[in-house]
Amino acid sequence: MIRPSTILWGCAVVAVGYAMFQMKYEVMQQEDRLARLNHDIASDREAVRVLNAEWNYLSQPARLDELAKRYLTLVPIGPKQLIDIAAIPLRVPEGTAGASAASSPAPARMADLKTSAER
Amino acid sequence: MTESSPREENPCRPRHFRPDPCGPATPAEGPARQSLDQSHTRLLITAALFCLVFAVIGVRLVEVGLGGDDAHIARQEPSRGITTGRADIVDRNGVLLATTLETPSLFADPKEIADAQKAARALVQILPDLDEKEVVQKLGSGKSFVWLKRHLTPREEEAVNRLGLPGLQFMPEGKRVYPEGDLAAHVVGYTDTDGNGLAGIERGLDARLRKGGAPVQLSLDARVQYILRDETAKAVSEFNAIGGMGIVMDVRTGEILAMVSLPDFDPNDANTATPATTFNRATLGAYEMGSVFKIFTMAMALNDHVATLESSYDATNPIHIGRFTIHDDHAQRRWLTVPEIFEYSSNIGAAKVALDVGADRQRDFLGRLGLLSAPHFQLKEIATPLVPAVWHPVNVMTVGFGHGISVSPLQLATGVSAVANGGILHSATLLKQADDAQALGTRVLTQETSIEMRKLLRLVVEHGTGKLAEADGYLVGGKTGTAEKVSGHHYAEHALLSSFVGVFPVNDPRYLVLVSVDEPHGNKQTAGYATGGWIAAPAVRETIERMASIVGIPPVDEDSPEIRRSLMVTLPSPEGRKFAAN
Repeated sequence: MIRPSTILWGCAVVAVGYAMFQMKYEVMQQEDRLARLNHDIASDREAVRVLNAEWNYLSQPARLDELAKRYLTLVPIGPKQLIDIAAIPLRVPEGTAGASAASSPAPARMADLKTSAER
Repeated sequence: MTESSPREENPCRPRHFRPDPCGPATPAEGPARQSLDQSHTRLLITAALFCLVFAVIGVRLVEVGLGGDDAHIARQEPSRGITTGRADIVDRNGVLLATTLETPSLFADPKEIADAQKAARALVQILPDLDEKEVVQKLGSGKSFVWLKRHLTPREEEAVNRLGLPGLQFMPEGKRVYPEGDLAAHVVGYTDTDGNGLAGIERGLDARLRKGGAPVQLSLDARVQYILRDETAKAVSEFNAIGGMGIVMDVRTGEILAMVSLPDFDPNDANTATPATTFNRATLGAYEMGSVFKIFTMAMALNDHVATLESSYDATNPIHIGRFTIHDDHAQRRWLTVPEIFEYSSNIGAAKVALDVGADRQRDFLGRLGLLSAPHFQLKEIATPLVPAVWHPVNVMTVGFGHGISVSPLQLATGVSAVANGGILHSATLLKQADDAQALGTRVLTQETSIEMRKLLRLVVEHGTGKLAEADGYLVGGKTGTAEKVSGHHYAEHALLSSFVGVFPVNDPRYLVLVSVDEPHGNKQTAGYATGGWIAAPAVRETIERMASIVGIPPVDEDSPEIRRSLMVTLPSPEGRKFAAN
């Protein structure tokens, strides 16, 4: 004679068993996915390395120099083309507002120094 | 609703142990009762064991489920299956100087090759650098593994695959690639096919590179390296020299921004390089550097108060000592003050100053500057200086103007940096130092001496033998050097080593630039001269002009009163000179 509790436990065993195998297959799938991702990461990293190497190969200073000479009408900045920003006389506007700005020039950085001597 | 039965019994008792109410009554005693008791006990023990095991599993389940060590698992996962090869080498800005790429290498299992002759013929057509006979021999060898070719290109790999021959297989192997080619060949070095470092940083830091991980960051700046290499190469080819070398050093830290030795080679193709090209002149070459050594002579004399900037020496006549005669290239034939000796690069004057300093103090001073012993450095290609065994007066005098002592350009640059930077010696290094790191060094001369030396260095460029090194706005100070190279036991008159070592801006030096040209020949533009002032000084000027904006040194007005004052040297007036000459 089968008691209700036995039926219940039986059902529970089946359910748990099903859930366990379900979980197991899910874990296996996830592991496959992980392996695939790891493989993808590895090959992406390798691709990044190759591209990085190629980028550095293509941007060799000698090559850039050559290309710049061939295609650009620019020449390197000479010392006469660099001047401290504080040395540039600022145009004082009509009003008084510009006066305070002119008296406290920005700190001179290389980018700021870049200006043409002719100006 | 499962608990339908009354609760008169122990609720902890396992349910299935409950005697069947419909079963026979429990015997009171006898063998039946005994065996029933026994099995009861056994059941209890077994149940307890099961409970224990389930409890352990339960606890573990909770533990894994709530995951105290999830992070640990997660941390380990990504590294699985990803191999880290030899570490990259990058410059101070991250420009890649050496990296490892996976390339397919072709191997064969000869046992699976049906027709060695046919396979070999097909392979040689695709890979023309293979020798057909050798391939036939390899494929017919009966081994189970033979390398056919290492590091194929993707195109070659595809072609081999298209052959569809059984028994041919690929194995990915790390190949060292140098994207910048010959740019810094001697610094970076190269490895063999199996990744063992054979030269340069690849050899010097082999153990660190093998560990993999983060790239090794050098102090080199690829841009400055290119400029220095370009200018040195120009000087070498313009003056038909056999070679050249150059160093750019941060005088405040000893970091090397650029180091060039010409002729050089492409480390990607290192097995075709010859000993002449792989030789690192900047570190492995020991040279008599000539007059640039007068920097040290003057520094030691000023530092030990043997002489002052006002002292003067008689440079009227050449010095005869033993079988040697010391004479001047730019002879003034009169008494010269210390600044003038330096300005005109007077050998006679420098010899006399050195003699006043004396052998002991000279040797001590040069030793402190690290010029008498091989330096500790990241490269293994390091020259041991050649120094006099006994310091006779004649040695003292010749060392005073840079002959009779051979050091590597690297040592010279390190020493001059110390003289110019305020008197602190920093060991030369090829590794980038942290920006905020306090550069530790040893004081080798006083601040005052260093400031006086800056004035003298400026004097050479403004009025003396180094005028061609004047880079407008960058306040170059420096010293020329023209050494006759030793060949056998005597000096070869027309085989010169022409050098210029400069620092800029000289009122507060940041960088040192050294260029030496080996056996240059003067041309029309230099009026036939092949001296350091004509050959190397222009290369240093060009280097400084091109690199200054890159390293962030703003040009200044040389004629501003503050700078004039800071670098002023009291020279005898022209009238005074005349007076002294009379």
